[in-house]
Amino acid sequence: MEQNTAAAVKPKRAKKPSQTSGMSRALVRRETISAYCFLAPALVFFVAFVVIPMFICVFYSLFDYSLGGINGFVGLDNYIQLFQDPVFHKGLINTIIIVLVAVPAVTAFSLWVGSAIYRMNAFTRSFFRCVFYLPVVTGSVAITVVWKWILDPYNGILNQLIGTNGYNWLGEGKTALACIILILFTTSIGQPIVLYVAALGNVDNSIIEAAQVDGATKLQVFWKIKWPAIMPTTLYVLVITTINSFQCFALIQLMTRGGPMNATMTIMYQVYDSAYRLYDLGYANAIGVILAIIIAIFSAIQFKVAKTD
Amino acid sequence: MKLKRILALAMAAAMALSITACGGGDESTPSGSQPSGSQPSGGGAVTLTVASFNIGGFTDSAAWEPIIEAFNAQNPDVTIEILPVTYQDGDQQLANLIAGGNAPDVVFEGPERIIGNYANEGLLVDLSDLWEGVTDIPESISSVSQLDGTYYMYPLSVAAHCMAINYEAFEAAGALQYIDEETRTWTTDDFVAACEALKAAMDAGTITMAETGIIYCGAQGGDQGTRALVNNLYSDYYVTEDGSSYNANSANNVKALELLQGMVDEGTMGVSTSYAAADELQAFANGTCAMTFCWNYSNYSQYAAQTQFTPFAMAFPSDDGVPELEMAGPYGLCVFDNGDQAKIDAAKEFVKFVCDDQTAGVEAVKTTGFFPAHEGWGDIYEGDETRAPFSLMSEYLGRYYSLTPGWVAQRALWWPMLQAIMGTGADVQTAADDYVAQANAGMAG
Repeated sequence: MEQNTAAAVKPKRAKKPSQTSGMSRALVRRETISAYCFLAPALVFFVAFVVIPMFICVFYSLFDYSLGGINGFVGLDNYIQLFQDPVFHKGLINTIIIVLVAVPAVTAFSLWVGSAIYRMNAFTRSFFRCVFYLPVVTGSVAITVVWKWILDPYNGILNQLIGTNGYNWLGEGKTALACIILILFTTSIGQPIVLYVAALGNVDNSIIEAAQVDGATKLQVFWKIKWPAIMPTTLYVLVITTINSFQCFALIQLMTRGGPMNATMTIMYQVYDSAYRLYDLGYANAIGVILAIIIAIFSAIQFKVAKTD
Repeated sequence: MKLKRILALAMAAAMALSITACGGGDESTPSGSQPSGSQPSGGGAVTLTVASFNIGGFTDSAAWEPIIEAFNAQNPDVTIEILPVTYQDGDQQLANLIAGGNAPDVVFEGPERIIGNYANEGLLVDLSDLWEGVTDIPESISSVSQLDGTYYMYPLSVAAHCMAINYEAFEAAGALQYIDEETRTWTTDDFVAACEALKAAMDAGTITMAETGIIYCGAQGGDQGTRALVNNLYSDYYVTEDGSSYNANSANNVKALELLQGMVDEGTMGVSTSYAAADELQAFANGTCAMTFCWNYSNYSQYAAQTQFTPFAMAFPSDDGVPELEMAGPYGLCVFDNGDQAKIDAAKEFVKFVCDDQTAGVEAVKTTGFFPAHEGWGDIYEGDETRAPFSLMSEYLGRYYSLTPGWVAQRALWWPMLQAIMGTGADVQTAADDYVAQANAGMAG
């Protein structure tokens, strides 16, 4: 009896309005089929080039796999070897340093530049977007050649400018990683700036004006109105920059090859080194799996912090 | 909500994984030169893919054209497609092709890759039949063309790695007195004295240079130069006599490393922990340093045009004045077992033609810039003054190390050891002991 009363008192859960209310079943089915048809090409590519390689990667990480093929099942041996490998430890630390420095720096700088230029006239805005986007469209090889000239210990323009002739920026453990982060920074800011300019331009101006009428300061307008509005863009920038930073490879291969003394070794470079120099493909796959897990964890933290799914 | 989050995380993981699983293979295969290795040949016509590393003039794959034309005159049913690969990314490119079941039919390189990598992995065809009746290839070359008594490489050309000095800079510094210009040799004491004379001349402004020489240790490229420098200074070897251990921690090699470390400390020798051989060669060509430790005819032909001075090839200094140089190559060809007998037969025919035909073979050897593996071919550069110094260097050829077990893994340890010793002033014996311990561990696989 008591239970019946409680059930009667408990308010009925409000029925969520269906997105298809008012549509006939046949129409819903037709729209669903159309949607899947539009999705299909991308889905096929995604499965073929992302999902299947992902499982192949996990599969091979459990084998002793070299140039001549699979030499036998080794279970978790590759993973055990990996966690005992001092080069991997160094690479992991360096990778995390790169991510922790580059991601906030790229995001903050891009937001600052985006905020500064999005209100400018179209020509000036486009000019700045081009300037910052140029390193993105320039090939990695060209960029590294230029930076190697700049940083050359004997003839480099940096040493000439600051009077440190002979200082080997890429050859000293203290500065090599900083140089890699700096170059990564210059090649990473282009896309976020373009995205921020677009996102800030799309913030509803009437809300900003209403807030200003109500006496909101510039800082309040930014934090209370613009920041929430551009949060999806920020999350995208954070995730993409994090993944790019984790997978920083070309710069290291072309500039330092992980040296000096593993000072610029990263997990991604170790994947390459294990696979293509040592031909230890199973081990390389194991490193790749661990890298993927680390990236997933970082992404999860970012999703959590940004309070969005 | 939760499902979406899981999906989003899975996507992030998948993006990361797909990079490693796909291995960037698409990028590394040039369009239009996709190997057809795994495709069975039909009828009598056969198409062969020849992966050619950028050895000397073969950097330009067009250099193969006259050789292929001559071959096709005798073998019209065989089509040869050249797949140019470079030392920069060739290993990656070939590894992707081999792992993907598209191995090329023929590879043109040296024993380090052909025997040490491909034959060791059981990927190659036995070429012993090509060696039958061959008597004019020296034992030093034939011994490194085989694995466990089976020949997997047929050699084309060979040379010696040496070093070079800036002749005019040495002359201006009064350092020519320390070299024997006729034999192109010098002793360790002479080398030290020459570096001191160069440093004094640099300090006095007589010559404008940043360094006497640069011990490059930023990567493994050209590490044969630093190996030979260290091993020659006190006449020791990179690997022990019986081949059972790497040898950097021997008394003489440690002494050599200490000598170089001292010279770096005194400023009579430079070091760059970010330079590989290509950077050092460019610095030499630019006149930034007065000597290079990575010289051979191929590098001479590549850099000589850029120099405003005379690059004078020299053997590495040794305490007894008797140098032992590392072999450049021997460069030769191997045939991959792609399971198609018609292709294998055609590939063997091509290998035999390139390496044995007196006309095409000489053309191929000259393109590499080195000297023929067949001693019976005599002096193919007769009258060519630029070749004479390199011909002389061939007389100083020493032991061949590159087939020592664990070779590939130890190469990644050598230059970090030099970085530690020359760059951070690490204790030489300790650093060399560490290197040997790790390199020997790699010997066991």
